[in-house]
Amino acid sequence: MTTAAPGRTLTLRETGPATRGTRPDEVVVVVSPAFAGSFTKTIVDVPHAEVLRQLLAGIEEQGVTARVVRVWDTADLAAISHTGAKLSGSGIAVGMLSRGTTMIHQRDLPRLSNLELFPQSPLLDAPVFRQIGSNAAQYAKGESPQPVPTRNDQMARPRWQAKAALLHLKEFECIRAGQPPVEVEPVFGRAG
Amino acid sequence: MTAVEPQQSVRTGVLEGRPVNLDGFVEEWPEKGLVAMESDFDPAPGIRVEGGRVVELDGRARADFDFMDTFIADHAIDVASAEESTAIPSAQIARMLVDPGVSRGEVLAVTRGLTPAKILDVVKLMNVVEIMQAMQKMRARRTPANQAHSTSARDNPVQVAADAAEGALRGFAELETTLGVVRYAPLVAIALQVGGQVGRGGVLTQCALEEATELELGMRGITAYAETISVYGTESVFVDGDDTPWSKAFLASAYASRGIKMRFTSGTGSEVQMGNAEGRSMLYLEIRCILMAKGAGVQGLQNGSISCIGVPGAVPGGIRAVAAENLVASMVDLECASGNDQSFSHSAMRRTARLMPQLLPGTDFVCSGFSAVPNADNMFAGSNFDTEDYDDWNTIQRDLQVDGGLRHVREPEILQARDRAARALQALFAHLDLPPVTDAEVEAATYANSSADYPPRDVLADLKGAQAVMDRGVTGLDLVRGLETTGFSDVAQNLLQVLRQRVSGDLLQTSAVLTADFTPLSAINDANDYAGPGTGYRLSGERWEELKKLRHVTSAEDPEREVG
Repeated sequence: MTTAAPGRTLTLRETGPATRGTRPDEVVVVVSPAFAGSFTKTIVDVPHAEVLRQLLAGIEEQGVTARVVRVWDTADLAAISHTGAKLSGSGIAVGMLSRGTTMIHQRDLPRLSNLELFPQSPLLDAPVFRQIGSNAAQYAKGESPQPVPTRNDQMARPRWQAKAALLHLKEFECIRAGQPPVEVEPVFGRAG
Repeated sequence: MTAVEPQQSVRTGVLEGRPVNLDGFVEEWPEKGLVAMESDFDPAPGIRVEGGRVVELDGRARADFDFMDTFIADHAIDVASAEESTAIPSAQIARMLVDPGVSRGEVLAVTRGLTPAKILDVVKLMNVVEIMQAMQKMRARRTPANQAHSTSARDNPVQVAADAAEGALRGFAELETTLGVVRYAPLVAIALQVGGQVGRGGVLTQCALEEATELELGMRGITAYAETISVYGTESVFVDGDDTPWSKAFLASAYASRGIKMRFTSGTGSEVQMGNAEGRSMLYLEIRCILMAKGAGVQGLQNGSISCIGVPGAVPGGIRAVAAENLVASMVDLECASGNDQSFSHSAMRRTARLMPQLLPGTDFVCSGFSAVPNADNMFAGSNFDTEDYDDWNTIQRDLQVDGGLRHVREPEILQARDRAARALQALFAHLDLPPVTDAEVEAATYANSSADYPPRDVLADLKGAQAVMDRGVTGLDLVRGLETTGFSDVAQNLLQVLRQRVSGDLLQTSAVLTADFTPLSAINDANDYAGPGTGYRLSGERWEELKKLRHVTSAEDPEREVG
């Protein structure tokens, strides 16, 4: 389990309605209603500040730009990610739930199909988020990267399943029905 | 820093280090359905029938029914007896369930008219011992059995064949597999089928996949049964999965049309896990799933929480609710494959305690998947029991004189079966022009524990081979022909017998399995006849002699010798 250097904070400042991007070399990072708001860290305490920083770094390292969007009206990962993909100039998005569950999606795929899915949120740490960002950027460039190796832990269920359900229910409570996605600007800071 | 941290005692430190403290526990949250079975938000029982039609169900008028209510009202509840049965005091029905003097048939005459809330009201009165007592009588088949997972972390078909042969030999009546890389499925399903028929004829196999592919493999005769047909207790979760009760019933009829054994899958916790429990308890929603299975006309259900076991396991009384859900499946006359098939706890004691309500009374399948491979190879994400637990399981059967469906097998027999399974697969792959199985792989399969003990296969070639199986329309009969041609006549015969069951349709009876001589045992010809002490299934005779055998037993005649 990885915990990032303490003290980094993240605020997602809304800048307006999310629009369809035109740059063919961008990845949309799309987050769920409670991300960096009601919740501040993943199920295994990776701070959202660290998650987003690593994702953006992974994307930038590939020479691709990123936009961040928040979805308000659903906490369904496939719906969130596909919404992001449709807004993305390249058609590629990385969608995330507050507990850390992540998906790389592409505009032309069916909603319940996707490019890469990382269902076991307790196994996702900072380096994995960086790789996910990097892969998403490579898809955006039209490349076919090796999928990020999936980890498996047969004891993840007894340890984390119920907490995941609880976090999911809490995230559901942050849904604002009918509210369209918004463009956000990540503001990183230092606490204390 | 001047404050002194209170020191932890050594004893607390030891307790903190115990595996049980790695398990996740959460508080109840009944408003959101995060509660096992005691919730004020569940509806009160009630039913009103007018003109042969249910017009009110558990406090909801027909105009307000969701599609689960409609399906259950129209297909699962016997309208002729519904008002009368639902009016019987719940305590009286609970007593009927526990009382050995009341026959299973008499209980079924009442339960077929009960509403979901009424069933919950009945089982809520029962403690876990009473649930077990009732299960002993209410399970459909007299003879208990067990079911296993046979998978490979590398999707290696040679491993799957060898482990299936060993699993069959150890007593599993059904074997199932699934994949890491889905495209591998045809090869692994073939390997499971072939291996299963080597260990002992008549073992039924399935490959858990996306529903259309699973159906196709079944229709081709490459698999023999199916159980990965998930149903849910709320309309919203069904809708999220692009499904309805009617679409699932249609799928069930597609299997039945080809004589393929099939059951649904459900279990407590899935609706809350998906965030749509609609404020109802886990068990209430599971009872709706059970009645949905009943209404769809399927013969059985895999329940016992299954892949959401972490959720009921984390809340108070959750494992009692899981035992109750198994009982409810049995008390509405469905086959019950009773769970114990997903990693549930870090604690060996808790793992065993969760098993007891199924193992002691016996169920149609005690596990819906005992891992017949090491858990690291288990592509269902790990089971409550795996290959390392074989000797413990056998010892518990012997200690308590209960039949958990397994037996100890001496190593020479196991090695022979594993070797033969791998050779049969080698011959069949060569015959079908599929990627070769080398002698080194056969050798590895004979002595292996896990996928790590096998030489790596050419995955790309295998995936092409798997695609070829589908493109060329290979069927179960092609496998029979290939095995016969290459000198594995006995295996071919066994597989042919399994395929012939499609035509007779005997496997469509509730709780049907095949014995080693291909006699179908089901609720029809092996009905549970428990009626108190000394009756029903008893562990005696040849089977008891078999279960007395363990790996190490000192000979009474010659204490310097071990008998096995």
